[in-house]
Amino acid sequence: MYREQKIRAFLFYLSALVFIIGLPFILSFALGYKFDRRTFKFTKTGLIVLKTQPSGADIYLDKKLLNIKTPATITEVLPGRYQLNLELEKHYPWFNEVDVEAGKVTRLEKVILFPLRPNIKQLNKERLSFFWVDEDKDSIYYIDPEDKNIYKSDLEGGRSEQVSSFIEIAPAAVKWKLSPDREKLLYFNIHQIGITYLQPQNKLSEETPFILNYSDGRIIDVFWHSDSYHIILVSNRGIEVLEARPQAKNLTLVNLNKRNTSCLYDIHTDTLYFLDSQRAADGNFYDNLYKLEVGAKTFPFQELIKLSPNE
Amino acid sequence: MNKHRKPERYLEIIPGALSWGIILFMVFLSIRQPIACAVLIIIFDFYWIVRTIYLTTLLFMAYKNLSQQKNRDWLADCQRLSPGKDWQGLYHLIIFPVYKEGLDILRPSLEALKQCCYPKERMVVIVAFEERHAQAKESAEILEAEFKSAFLGYLSTFHPDGIPGEKRTKGANATWAAKQAKELLSSKSISYEDVVVSCFDADTCVDRQYFGCLTYHFLTSPSPHQASYQPIPVYNNNIWYAPSFARLVEISASFCQMIESMRLEKFVTFSSHSMSFKTLVDIDYWPVDMVSDDSVVYWKAFLFYKGNYRVVPLYITVSMDVAYSSNFFKTIVIQYRQKRRWAWGIENFPFLISRFSNNKDISWVTKIRRSFHLLESHITWAVWAIILMLITPLPIFLGGAFFSQMSIGYNLPKITGLLLNFTLGTSLIWIILSRTTLPARPPGVKWIKNVVTIIEWVIVPFIILILGSTPALDAQTRLMLARYMEFSPTEKTRRINKNKQK
Repeated sequence: MYREQKIRAFLFYLSALVFIIGLPFILSFALGYKFDRRTFKFTKTGLIVLKTQPSGADIYLDKKLLNIKTPATITEVLPGRYQLNLELEKHYPWFNEVDVEAGKVTRLEKVILFPLRPNIKQLNKERLSFFWVDEDKDSIYYIDPEDKNIYKSDLEGGRSEQVSSFIEIAPAAVKWKLSPDREKLLYFNIHQIGITYLQPQNKLSEETPFILNYSDGRIIDVFWHSDSYHIILVSNRGIEVLEARPQAKNLTLVNLNKRNTSCLYDIHTDTLYFLDSQRAADGNFYDNLYKLEVGAKTFPFQELIKLSPNE
Repeated sequence: MNKHRKPERYLEIIPGALSWGIILFMVFLSIRQPIACAVLIIIFDFYWIVRTIYLTTLLFMAYKNLSQQKNRDWLADCQRLSPGKDWQGLYHLIIFPVYKEGLDILRPSLEALKQCCYPKERMVVIVAFEERHAQAKESAEILEAEFKSAFLGYLSTFHPDGIPGEKRTKGANATWAAKQAKELLSSKSISYEDVVVSCFDADTCVDRQYFGCLTYHFLTSPSPHQASYQPIPVYNNNIWYAPSFARLVEISASFCQMIESMRLEKFVTFSSHSMSFKTLVDIDYWPVDMVSDDSVVYWKAFLFYKGNYRVVPLYITVSMDVAYSSNFFKTIVIQYRQKRRWAWGIENFPFLISRFSNNKDISWVTKIRRSFHLLESHITWAVWAIILMLITPLPIFLGGAFFSQMSIGYNLPKITGLLLNFTLGTSLIWIILSRTTLPARPPGVKWIKNVVTIIEWVIVPFIILILGSTPALDAQTRLMLARYMEFSPTEKTRRINKNKQK
C-alpha cells in the first residue's frame, strides 16, 4: 500500500508537471503565438485559411512552396503582407496579396480555380435561334428557325425530339419568352406577336399556334402576366394588355410620351417599371420612372386608368 | 440537520452558488468576452484530459489490486496471523436496512452471507425492517424461518415511525437496528471491541471471501477501531438485464469507487461498508436525520478521533443491483433520483464545516484540505460535463464575427476536439476493464449483448450530462434553496433467470 501511494504521488506530481508545462504551449498555440526556439520568446502570429474549388492546389507563400495542399490552414504566419499563389495542374493559377494580422485569421475560402480548357460541348443537333433550359424537367428547348419547329433534349443534348412548331413572322422574332406555366411560348417582332403551345398533342385542339398583329405602333417589349394568359405589351405609343388568344383585343393602360421607353417587368408582383417623359412646372419634359401594378388583386383590368398624353 | 442554525444555512448555499456561479460566469464570458471564455475552456479541457489520464492510471492500479486479490483465501491468511491477532475472537454484525425490498431482493443477499467462507457462528445478522411497511412482519417471518438457524444470531427489527428528531432515512433504521444489536451482543457477553459491523444495502451480495478479507484487514490495521473498511461496490446482480445507459452509469460508479480507493487521503465511505462496532457506539451510530448516512458516519468518526480516522480499501467486491424499471423513461427517472441522492452527499459540507469550526483538535491544514476535497469533488461533479459539452461551443456560437476572425476562434474547436480525442485512449481502457469486470453472461441472455456492452459506450457523453452533472447540480440547488431531500430508496428490479429456476 505504501509503495502504491508513492507511485500515486509520483503520478500526481507528473500530471501536475505535464499540466504546468503543457498549458503555456497549448494556450500560446490557441492564441496564435509562435515559440522561437532561438530566442526563447513567443511571437504573435496569424493564420491563413484556404479552401479552393477544386481542392488539391499547391500553395506558394512568397514564392516558397509549402508542403500542404488546399484545403489548408497555414499557421504561425508572422504579421505582414504576403504574395500567395495557388496552382493546380490544368487550371489557371490564382494569385493575390494577403495581409496577415497578429492573432487573426485571414480567410480565403471561396477561391475557384478555373480550368485552362473549359469543357465545352455542343448540345443542339439542328440550327437554332433561341433556347431555354427547364431545370425542373431536366430539359433544353430549341427553336429551329428553318423548319419552324421546337425541339427538346436532355441537359446533355441527348434524346432530342420535336415537341411543337410555330408560325413564322417577318421580320424574324427579336425575342422569345416562355409563359410562367411553361406551356406557351411567345415571340415577337415590331408588329407581330406569335404564340405557340408546347406539346400541343396533349392539349385541346383549339391550342394551335396563332399570330396577333399590332399595327398601331412599334413593339418595344412584351411580357407574360403571371397568370400565363395575359400579355403586357410595351410599344412606342403606350402600355397595353391583351389576352393570349386569337383575335384578342388590346386594351391601353398607359399612353406614353417617350417614343423609345425602357421597361422591366417583375412577374412575382406583376409590376411594370417604365420610363416616360412628363412636362414639369417649368414647361420642359423630363424622364421619370413609373411603376404600374397590373396584378389581378391590385389592378383589376376592368378598372383601368388611362393617362392622357402629356399628362 | 438543524435547519435553523444560521451559519450552517449559509454554508448550504455555498456549493450551489459556486456551481451556478461558474456556469453562469462562463455563459456571460462567452457573450461579453469570448476570447477569455475560450482561454478558460482550453485550460479546463487540458486540465480535464490530464486528470482523466491520471485517474485512469489509478483505476488500472486498483483493478490490478482487485485482480490480484481475487480468489485469495483470506481465512487461511487470517489463520496464519500471529497469535496476538486471534481472528476467532472477532464477531461480525451484519445489518441490512430494508424498506420496501421484497424477498426476491433479500433472499439472495442472505443466501450470499450463508455461502461465505467464514464461520457462521461468528456472524450476527440483523434484517432491519421499517415498521410502517405493511409486508415487513410477513417477510421477516419467512426469512427467519429460512435463515435464523444459519448464524450465531439472527434478528428482525422493526424501526418505529416518527421517533422525535429522526427523518425517514436509512441511517435512522440502521441506528435502531444497531441499538437492538447492542442489547443482543451484551446478552451474549460479546465485547463491542470484538465486533465489526457491516451495514449493507438490502440488495448487497457479498463475495464469499468478504468476511475473511475484512477480518484480515481489521486485525492487521495499526488502529483497527479508527478505520472504516470499504469494499468495491459492483452492480453485477442484474447487470446483464439492465438497459445500456443504466449499466454504464453503474459501471462508471464502480470505477469511480475503485479510483477513490487509491486516493486514501480523500477516501470516504460509500454505500455498503464495515467498521468497528465500538466506534459506531462511540460516535452515537449513524445520523438519523441525514440522507447520506454512509458518508456522514465516516465524518462523525473522523471528528470523534480528531482527524485520526481513515478508510481502508478492501479490494473485494460486494455486488448490488443496477437500478432500473419496466421501461426506458421510468429507468431514467429512477437512475436520476438515485444519482441525485448520491449527490446529496453535498449535505456533508455544511455538516463538516460547522463541526470543524468548533473543533480545536484537528489542524487547520487538515480542516482546509478535507473541506476543499469535499467541496471540489462535488462542484466538479456538477459542472464538468456542462462545461465540456454545453459551454465549450458557446464562444463560437455567441462570440460573433469578431471571435471567428481571431486565431483562438479558429483554434478552439480544433484544440478541444484534439484534447478530447486523447480521452478516447482512456475510454478504451475503461471499456476493456468494464468487460473484464462483468460477470459471466447468464444463460438466456443473447450473445449479441456482448457486442452491445462495448458499443454502448458511445452514449457516455449524453449519460454524463443527463445522469452525471444534472442530478448533482439539482441536489446542490435544492440544498441552496433549503428544499431538503428525504431518503427515497431506489426501486430495484431483479429479473429471475428462468433457466436457473429450473
